[in-house]
Amino acid sequence: MADQNPGIYSIGAVGRMLGVPPARLRTWEERYGVVTAERSDGGHRLYSRDHVEQLRFVARQVEQGTPPGDAFRLLADQLGQERWLTAPHAEERGLLIMLAERDPFSAEFGEYFLRTEGYGTVLAFDFNEAELKAEERSPQLAIVDLLIPGGTGTELCEALRQRGIGRILAISTLESRDEALAAGADAFLQKPLEPLKLVSTVKDLLGASAYLR
Amino acid sequence: MTDRLSSGSDRLDGTLGGGLMANAINFLLGPPGSGKTILAQQYLFHNATDRRPGVYFSTVSEPLEKILRYAQTLTFFDRRALGKSVLYEDLGGVLNEKGLPGVLARVTEVLREQRPSLMAIDSFKATRSYADGQEGFRRFLHDLAGRLSAYPVTSFWVGEYESGDIIEAPEFAVADAIISLSSERRGERESRSLQVLKLRGSDYQSGLHAYRLSESGLQVFPRMADPVDPSDYGLSDVRIPSGIPLFDAMLEDGFWPGASTLVAGPSGAGKTLLGLHFVFNGLDTGEPGLFATMQENPSQLERTANRFSWSFKSPGVELMYRTPVDLYLDEWVYDLLGTIERTGARRVVIDSLGDLRAAALDDIRFREYIYSLLQRCSRQGVSVILTQEMPELFGVSRLSEYGVSHLSDNVVLLQFVRGKAELRRSITVLKTRASTHDPRSVQYDISTAGFVLGEPLSSSEALSS
Repeated sequence: MADQNPGIYSIGAVGRMLGVPPARLRTWEERYGVVTAERSDGGHRLYSRDHVEQLRFVARQVEQGTPPGDAFRLLADQLGQERWLTAPHAEERGLLIMLAERDPFSAEFGEYFLRTEGYGTVLAFDFNEAELKAEERSPQLAIVDLLIPGGTGTELCEALRQRGIGRILAISTLESRDEALAAGADAFLQKPLEPLKLVSTVKDLLGASAYLR
Repeated sequence: MTDRLSSGSDRLDGTLGGGLMANAINFLLGPPGSGKTILAQQYLFHNATDRRPGVYFSTVSEPLEKILRYAQTLTFFDRRALGKSVLYEDLGGVLNEKGLPGVLARVTEVLREQRPSLMAIDSFKATRSYADGQEGFRRFLHDLAGRLSAYPVTSFWVGEYESGDIIEAPEFAVADAIISLSSERRGERESRSLQVLKLRGSDYQSGLHAYRLSESGLQVFPRMADPVDPSDYGLSDVRIPSGIPLFDAMLEDGFWPGASTLVAGPSGAGKTLLGLHFVFNGLDTGEPGLFATMQENPSQLERTANRFSWSFKSPGVELMYRTPVDLYLDEWVYDLLGTIERTGARRVVIDSLGDLRAAALDDIRFREYIYSLLQRCSRQGVSVILTQEMPELFGVSRLSEYGVSHLSDNVVLLQFVRGKAELRRSITVLKTRASTHDPRSVQYDISTAGFVLGEPLSSSEALSS
């Protein structure tokens, strides 16, 4: 279980995703002990996607006026009855972004920063996988590494555009602004991507933050 | 396209072709005490911001407490930046408990959470002993370099590596830049030098560059080896008088502006005095002068000048005194050029070359510096007199001037001549460039008016010198 759903989000990130101050998350953990984050090697709390969904459930209950103690009892009840199977796909709740990226390290960072901003993400590591995932999941925005293996990135931009993906953000280690725009991309960013720039560009392209939907 | 990262020092940035590349992996190597940690921190404090901080990881070689204790004495160490734009963290515990996977996890976490623009790992070399064999270490390197390349962060991998490690140690394969700090001991003197061994995507100044460690950090004096510049530079054709009328006549009509003149002679012949004539004559012509001495301290030199009714207190003349003990040629030349620029000096005396030679590591380096210095002065129309002491009181078998006579435009020899009862002096112009000169040796006395030239020596007198 832990392997399939490892802790990836910091307390700060979870706080931002749920709109709950980190101090309150800590208090909840200490007081009720129902959702206990893993600890990183450095001793920092790391929350899995399941944790986030469980805390989202509690936060929603609390927002509707349920006292936190009761909300956690309700959650524990569901968990105990194994009615809590797994987190629903994050993207089902909001905006989905496909990240077609050749480099696993870049993909890992990109996915992390987009998810902490509340976007759903789907990863693809080559041309075919990107086409396939685009067909299956219909993301609202695709981020395309122009150096993706299995075909050219500019062709992928065009192919995704034909599939009706409304927004395309091209990225590359090489300065390829012109190629990207000629291939129909809406914007271009040079790698390595600065998290704030990535997120603000995505927000601009989608015309909305994931939270505002 | 790639942004450059400044060290906060123009000279160091210049050595690096404009600065280190942003988002690159940079190695800082050197023995203990060479200033690696200082340099890494200098980059952090100079570039970190609250939004994109700098993170300093210590590992297991030097305790973080100690790094901080010494860092606080540096002028760029800003307490207010601590915990905001500059974060210090000990990775030693993680390394001991979880090994290299723990380091990777923590680095990833910090990149995600703190979003730093700079990161230092000090000492990186120490991580190797935690690897599960060579293969494990390579895997760690691949994963760490992968993360640091996927994220816009400039990293400094600091270590007590030696030059042989660069070929053999696998970590250098991922290096974008390698800066090596070293020191060489000669007798009681220690010379520190910085060398850029690799700088991907940029030109850099090759060779060894002297540096000092001061409370403001690493101060570099880039090796001065100006290439021959064939381009024209216009100089005025108004000659510069030496301040000794009859001597000017021997030189046709004084010096060309921007010319360099070597004045060689034994102790007591009057080399310093000839330099004083030159500098103080500038007061009459409205040309600021600079007397750079390692020979006499300011009080002694002022007393000497007073004997001839001159004073260094006059506006328009500047005295630059540096003790020859602990003099470093590189630093001195930069100092001199800075003083020339500050004072607008048009006439410069360097007293003496021997002191400068003693402050240089070797002949080649010495000549490179003197050549570059004279070139820079010449192009700016600054005229220079250099003095050189010769060991022989009578007669000259050779000018032991380290090849500087080839570099200077004019060479003047001061000598003692055996008279019947008294010691006499003579002055001879051995060489003038782009000019004719009187080849005879002329006798001179030193009075309260300074040099007083007399008659040319007869051939028998000239022979007896």
